[in-house]
Amino acid sequence: MTWAAHPDGVVIELDHVSKWFGDVVAVSDVTFEIRPGITALLGPNGAGKSTVLRLLCGLARPSQGHVRLLGLDPRRDLSLLGRIGLVPQQEALFEPLTPLETVEAAARLLKVLAPRDTAAAALELVEVDPGDPRPVRALSKGNRQRVKVAMALVHDPDVLVLDEPLNGLDPRQRVHLIELVRSLGERPGRCVVVSSHVLDEVERFGSRILVIAQGRLAAEGDFRRIRDLMDDRPHRIRVGSADAAPLAAALLEAGVVQGVRLVDGGLEVETSEVRAFRSAVAVVARDRRLALDEVVPLDDDLDSVFRYLVGR
Amino acid sequence: MLATVYRLTLRTQARIGRLAALGALGAVAVLVGLAIGVGDLDDTLEAGTRLVNTYGLSIYAPVVALVFGAAALGDPADDGTLGYLWLRPVRRSHIVVGAYGAALSVVLPLTLVPLVVAAALSGGGGALVRGTVLAATVAATAYTALFAYLGLRVRRSLVWGLTYILIWEGFVALAGDTAARLALRSYTRSVLADATGVRLRLADVSLPIAVGVPLVVAAVALALTTRRLHRMEVP
Repeated sequence: MTWAAHPDGVVIELDHVSKWFGDVVAVSDVTFEIRPGITALLGPNGAGKSTVLRLLCGLARPSQGHVRLLGLDPRRDLSLLGRIGLVPQQEALFEPLTPLETVEAAARLLKVLAPRDTAAAALELVEVDPGDPRPVRALSKGNRQRVKVAMALVHDPDVLVLDEPLNGLDPRQRVHLIELVRSLGERPGRCVVVSSHVLDEVERFGSRILVIAQGRLAAEGDFRRIRDLMDDRPHRIRVGSADAAPLAAALLEAGVVQGVRLVDGGLEVETSEVRAFRSAVAVVARDRRLALDEVVPLDDDLDSVFRYLVGR
Repeated sequence: MLATVYRLTLRTQARIGRLAALGALGAVAVLVGLAIGVGDLDDTLEAGTRLVNTYGLSIYAPVVALVFGAAALGDPADDGTLGYLWLRPVRRSHIVVGAYGAALSVVLPLTLVPLVVAAALSGGGGALVRGTVLAATVAATAYTALFAYLGLRVRRSLVWGLTYILIWEGFVALAGDTAARLALRSYTRSVLADATGVRLRLADVSLPIAVGVPLVVAAVALALTTRRLHRMEVP
């Protein structure tokens, strides 16, 4: 199988895929296509991201629908597995082995030529010393994560899947891994899929985003469009003020809120133009000489953002 | 591929704690064998045979095989490292045989050495030692394969395995000939009885069948494990 066999450039295809475990629906009727380059899978914890990644690697079987990787079924075609590199979310590794032994074992199972040298090179790429004699159980969480990345990279895969790869990394390691993932995604024809629950993180990986929430595909496209969708939704904001009633009237008069409700110690407003509101509220309070104690967004957490996207 | 899976399984499963605990159980057989040997018994062959049968083949060998057989693929499935083996272009049968081979290469010496030493110290003679070697080898081969399948098939495989060893083989299978045929123990004790000439209860199977049936059980168990690995969803 070569890339030429896919004239439309689709590498990964999920066609009306659902996955349930007993009564629990983990993924519900998800359809999308992924082409070469970096695609970020964004969603809150428990949204079904890991299940989607397991489905597209063949580790799980869809309850309904079809998964195709390079045009083939990853659960049926064994040769396909040699073209996938997966960094799973779980931490477990072959604990008594050193980093080099661990990555070398992966290289041997992947039939890589010169497995020891290639494993050492993969470790150097992720900034782990191949000569480190300690077993992986003695490594820090960040170094264990980097060993997992080296295992996924050692055979130069066509499809690289990383499930929450930044977990446990310190800021410098995060920057390095983001740069590494970006460079890996630049290889022509390679497809990199990376999941995260933090929008600021995934937009640094690349521009294409799939948003998964409550097991459903909530949005997909360029991250700027997704960011706009998130910003343009109705926002609820609490405004602390001893002059709640006149401040409410002034904000309505200024046209930056759609609704106002007086609450203990201030007011709650609803606005779809959050940037305009943030600019106007202090000016309105100052011009009218009204008290303004605090401005607190009430629904800025990711869960409420995802709930909005799902409910659109 | 086989060698890599073998080495990985051996390095991760042969833990000092497990080896020490099971080695201590093996030492019990050696001590009892020594007690028989230095004691004032008329028939050390029969006493030694009964020791190997009731402790060695009925409890010790199955438990050792359970611990390492169930861990061969069950532990990686539980801790998530099975994905690192599964997600490779390696035939599923090679993963199963590699893991089984690693488990067996621990189970065999851990079973054989104390039981053979116990048999020798008991004073039962060459027949008992030969019978112990053959019976323990057959037991280790079959039980390890059976419990390797169990380890991949169910969670809490140790509990299920002990239930099989203690309740089915130790209780239900003693009810009669038909039930005994469904217990590996009746075949391994038949091997021992054939070698020593000591009459053991429900040990009346001919030697070819006593050796052949457990080996067939092992082959079927490995085939089922391969099928399971091919079809399962990997955590």
